[in-house]
Amino acid sequence: MSDEKLLVVKDLTTTFATAGGELTAVAHVSFDLDRNETLGIVGESGSGKTVLSRTIMGLQPRVNTTVTGSSIIDGFEVVGSSENEKRTIWGTEVAMVFQDPMTSLNPVMRIGKQIDEALRVRLGMNRKDAKARAIELLELVGIPSPVQRYHAYPGQLSGGMRQRVVIAIALACSPKLLMADEPTTGLDVTIQAQILNLLDELKERLKMSVILVTHDLGVVATRTSRIAVMYAGRIVETGTTRDVFHHHRMPYTRALLESSPKVSNKSHTRLVTIPGRPPNLLNLSPGCSFAPRCKYATDQCHLVRPELQPSIEPGHTFACWNPLPVNSEATLS
Amino acid sequence: MSNRALDEQVLSALGIKEEPGEPLGLFFWICVGWVGLNVFGAIFANLLPLPNPLIGNFNAVNVGPGIHHLFGTDDLGRDIFSRVVYGSRVSITVGIGAILIGFGIGAPLGMLAAYRRGRFDAILTTVMYVLLAFPAIIATIAVLSFWTPRSLFKIIVVIGIASIPLVYRVIRTATLSVATKDYVIAAKVQGATDRRILMRELLPNIAPIAVSFFLIGVATVITLEGALAFLGLSVNPPTPSWGNMINEARTVLTQNVWLAFFPSLALCLFLIALNFIGDRIRSHFDVTEVKL
Repeated sequence: MSDEKLLVVKDLTTTFATAGGELTAVAHVSFDLDRNETLGIVGESGSGKTVLSRTIMGLQPRVNTTVTGSSIIDGFEVVGSSENEKRTIWGTEVAMVFQDPMTSLNPVMRIGKQIDEALRVRLGMNRKDAKARAIELLELVGIPSPVQRYHAYPGQLSGGMRQRVVIAIALACSPKLLMADEPTTGLDVTIQAQILNLLDELKERLKMSVILVTHDLGVVATRTSRIAVMYAGRIVETGTTRDVFHHHRMPYTRALLESSPKVSNKSHTRLVTIPGRPPNLLNLSPGCSFAPRCKYATDQCHLVRPELQPSIEPGHTFACWNPLPVNSEATLS
Repeated sequence: MSNRALDEQVLSALGIKEEPGEPLGLFFWICVGWVGLNVFGAIFANLLPLPNPLIGNFNAVNVGPGIHHLFGTDDLGRDIFSRVVYGSRVSITVGIGAILIGFGIGAPLGMLAAYRRGRFDAILTTVMYVLLAFPAIIATIAVLSFWTPRSLFKIIVVIGIASIPLVYRVIRTATLSVATKDYVIAAKVQGATDRRILMRELLPNIAPIAVSFFLIGVATVITLEGALAFLGLSVNPPTPSWGNMINEARTVLTQNVWLAFFPSLALCLFLIALNFIGDRIRSHFDVTEVKL
């Protein structure tokens, strides 16, 4: 059992029926995740990262959404399961840390109660044990004087504190897989590092797997073992963090890497940007979605969509007709 | 250093902010006092030293306000002050009773529709909007004209049913804005059941809006009852209600203006107080992030 992959995603596709037609937010995504592994999902806004992470755990809107493919969390097939069935894995197998701690806590409930809830309902603890465990969890996520904070309302805590509480809630039922959807976007930079370090530390301590969804390459660089780069709902390159950073083949990955600002740059260095705009998902070309913005694009790129193909390193795949040469170091420091 | 000062220092060092909540203000408490006084009068009217509102004193007909009759008397010599106090019974009972029916049915449906969405919501909302398009006053007049003999109970039921779509619409909209919040999704992915989400996550968050709409609803229903009474479709005379007192006063308006003035004043002040309380409660308990 423990040798088995924790998460196996196969050909996962999420389609929304919108007024403008069928919108495929996630298209044919496949990957898997080992136990105690951290995977980073990277992409720009609208690339389908959030929809992907929510579809994996079966959390899509009830109406106008079609999901095909398969997402198996620790042997449980999420796709096609009813909400009642999914409730058995939510919290205990897979939990989620949300993007904005300002909106992911109930403003009218004391934070202690919000942690208690899950413990009492899911684990059947009594009031006293649940409170003790909740305080323990608050301590675990590094909240000072947790006994007093147990009675605080979310409005009385700062952003970083709230995100710690959100993490404590997610950890309440000791999930095996933690989905962190842009967990630091709503926080300022010094707090970001603290929260990421906390996640890292907890992952080791509690032997969890983590999926870290972000648009910030700096976030994933040192904290993930593997990275999947998404563009227009598809994975366009995946591999170990090292391979993706240093031996990437897909021009989009390079463009993404080049457009992150570097501290070593001289001041007033112009930020490198990717020309053009993300594609309209309602009206995708038959070819590579990145082709219109790619400086290496050929006719083939516009007409035929490239599939993921292996690169020379094991586990490293990319989807491109005109990949960068094998030993191309990005212009990164 | 005192313990409390130390506590505050620790709290501020930990980034704990003061509780929000803007003061309710003096006028709010005056309004609460006024509404409380009216409700008290309505409940204990027969224990108060008031003249019988139904029996007239023919030696004192159409007397102006004075020592013996605080608000004067009507054309049958009945004490207006006493009738205004007794009249509040009908108005307040109808107001609260009808809105309770409206909330009892409209609020759960509204919450459920906003939370479940989909076909359930689409059908229910369409039905409610069709009902809403039909003027409540016309519907209540029509039903009350045929459903005789009229009684307080029937009036409450008819207005109560008429208020369901109004309550439904407000509660549904309020729930919609909460139901898509991350903390509701967060509760869901922690394995919370629908019932738990409705009761623990959604209900407390729409409570301020619900309470304030309840009070404003009571005021609206009292106006509606007044209108029905004015048309002679509320409780039968001689039982006083603010509406039918104004109606009766209409015929003698040129001889005795006080007869119309006092019930109108009572109605008006009560409605203003209710509306103001409702409004203040909403803004006081409005936990928006902007204020934090």
